Amino acid sequence: MISCVCVVQEGQTADLRRAAIQDAINSFCQNSFHQSAELIWHVVPRGNGFTGGGNPSTSSVVALTLEEGIDQIKRERLLKALSGLWCGWTDTSSDELVAVISDPR
Amino acid sequence: MPLYICNSAPGAIPSDAKAKIADDITSAHCDVTDAPARFVHTAFFENHQRFPLEGKSAFVVGTIRAGRTDEQKSIITDRIKRSILNHAGISMEDCDAYVAETPASWIMEGGEIMPEPGEEAAWLKAHAEKSTQ
Repeated sequence: MISCVCVVQEGQTADLRRAAIQDAINSFCQNSFHQSAELIWHVVPRGNGFTGGGNPSTSSVVALTLEEGIDQIKRERLLKALSGLWCGWTDTSSDELVAVISDPR
Repeated sequence: MPLYICNSAPGAIPSDAKAKIADDITSAHCDVTDAPARFVHTAFFENHQRFPLEGKSAFVVGTIRAGRTDEQKSIITDRIKRSILNHAGISMEDCDAYVAETPASWIMEGGEIMPEPGEEAAWLKAHAEKSTQ
């Protein structure tokens, strides 16, 4: 099973649309890898997330770990698709998202 | 990336210390790696089971782009522990810090694959140009 860790900021759109985003990620994993994802959702409490020093963060992280490695061309295509999916559901810009697709360790 | 996650015992790190520690973590990372501050994310949790404290009062795990030396990583973790000591009064023995690496080519930020260490300036220039188009 694919592991998907999401780190979102409390009260921001990604947190409020959690169920819909989780469904979308599961569909993405099914379509891309024919596997479901185990979603691990971390909500950073308000006032506890920072970017670029001590500035309040509006950023999210979505990190998939695969069961089998993929080539870089496929990885980049899927990272773009995953970023597009996330930004579409959260109304955020790609500057506010870190997306990771990792091969198994 | 990097993403630094700090887990601590409830109340061990005062709320007003967190921005200062995040600032110090960012400075440590940028001083050691020459990476731009905008890449550095820090999040604080209390008693988060995913990041076990294992008897310590605070635990910091950083996920950074691969390619840094052991010495660089050691300087970063040492400065993190020193910052937590300075701002939260947690001794360096009572705080653990660890840095894990992920290949830059596995990470996308700002809609672009992250640059390899040392190639940030060209990446930022290209990203800025793309953003204004």
